[in-house]
Amino acid sequence: MTTDTGGVGEILEAPLVIEYPFNRTTGPVIGAFLTGLREQRVLGIRGADGRVVCPPTEYDPQTGEPLTEMVEVGTEGVVTSWSTVTTPRDGQPLPGHHTLALVRLDGADTAMLHVVDGHVATGDRVRIRWADERQGLITDIAAFEPIRGGA
Amino acid sequence: MSGNRVAVVGVGQTKYAAVRGDVSLPGLLREAAYRALADAHLTMDDIDAIVVGKAPDFFEGVMMPEGYLAEALGAVGKPLFRVHTAGSVGGSTAIVAASHIQSGVHERVLTIGWEMQSCSEAMWALSFPLPFQQQLVAGAGGYFAPFIREYMRRSGAPDDIGILVALKDRLNALKNPYAHLHEPDITYDSVKESFMLWEPIRYSETCPSSDGAIALVLAGESAAEASAASSGVPPAWIHGTSMRSEPAMASGRDQVSPQASRDCAADVFSQAGITNPRQEIDVVEMYVPFSWYEPMWLESLGFADEGVGWKMTESGATQMTGDLPVNCSGGVLSTNPIGASGMIRFGEAAMQVRGQAGDHQIDGVRRALGHAYGGAAQFFAMWVVGSDKP
Repeated sequence: MTTDTGGVGEILEAPLVIEYPFNRTTGPVIGAFLTGLREQRVLGIRGADGRVVCPPTEYDPQTGEPLTEMVEVGTEGVVTSWSTVTTPRDGQPLPGHHTLALVRLDGADTAMLHVVDGHVATGDRVRIRWADERQGLITDIAAFEPIRGGA
Repeated sequence: MSGNRVAVVGVGQTKYAAVRGDVSLPGLLREAAYRALADAHLTMDDIDAIVVGKAPDFFEGVMMPEGYLAEALGAVGKPLFRVHTAGSVGGSTAIVAASHIQSGVHERVLTIGWEMQSCSEAMWALSFPLPFQQQLVAGAGGYFAPFIREYMRRSGAPDDIGILVALKDRLNALKNPYAHLHEPDITYDSVKESFMLWEPIRYSETCPSSDGAIALVLAGESAAEASAASSGVPPAWIHGTSMRSEPAMASGRDQVSPQASRDCAADVFSQAGITNPRQEIDVVEMYVPFSWYEPMWLESLGFADEGVGWKMTESGATQMTGDLPVNCSGGVLSTNPIGASGMIRFGEAAMQVRGQAGDHQIDGVRRALGHAYGGAAQFFAMWVVGSDKP
């Protein structure tokens, strides 16, 4: 490729595309969470202070101690904060109007970031819409759906 | 060495392997960190600060992992510091950790070096095609092969010195339960007949790609003595630390024996009061990722005169039975989680001084050198540890 510099001379340009694959080893806790999603179950973990952290962490956020007590939480929950996407661009989670939201599932004390199909606001209730084919990935939760009219 | 006295009072290593699929990245570091704390008879509550190092983020694809790892490392509410110096980073990280105590700021510092190379293909991450440059698909070994060839030309060394180094280090690794490669059937002929990867470097003369972590607990004088009294294992006192670097593409630099390497060695030996390294150092853990770097560094570090380092290898002087054992642990040639490799050299040197190296222990070690290099043989980190208080 060349660029016309208006008589100053020719400046060469070339593209540099770096593509490089990475692998991840999930370990016992994140591994159990992802395996649960495949079975349409959501697992959190009990922290040192008794609160349920979901998605689970391997080590306590406050004390750093290893955590082991997995706790199944609900597949419905409440929106704790949100950002709406009215005109999605290519590559965004859903093609239509959707909302990026923090969802605290029933039985959990912390919220996870995911996508809600439609518009919601803080305090609205939502439920998981599972992917038809689940592979042990966070995208096994295809999206959350608003529960209209209260639950 | 200036500042307050510092000693290594705890060493913890993971089992090294091509793939540690049984643990997450935080779990891997945790394994090393808690073994080091147990060795020091201390708990995480006793630690004032944490200093970590690894190879470039691109090798694992986790950007600034120190933030993500803070909770797993017990670093909540404590200073957590990251060091970056390519392949020498494990050594540099330990030195930075020591400086936190030398300065009087902290009493007990935990330092960790790691790499989970199964997250990527780090060897080839070094070789992506840049515009307007010849693409060599060479990896790290391809970069160093011409400088090895130049060493062979200058020194007139026999062609098989590299084979002898590889055979020695891989046999030593059989005595180290943590080592990645355990090849009990290795022979001179099997090394010689292995695939020529980057001429003159054969497959069996090349480091593996490993997952693993090492952690050290460093302590100031009174804390070190208290820890040793509790654990029953003597401290390895730090007698000198030095780091040097030079630009990869500096015109006219000597890539066989870089100025930064020679300056770093001179500095660390001067701090330790050593005038004849061959006589005064009992054991060396040297960063040898490709076999020929043993004779090259023997000369650059001052253990041999220029051009004759290979004679030490050939005569057996660097074997465990020789007068200057090099890489009793099996070295980088047997275990290479890049960001950990330098700290493994430093930690193994400390283990020799503390008498805790098990089957690869050399009797009566009073002073040991830990050595690391990185980048295009441009970053250097070294420490001398000893049984006597400096």
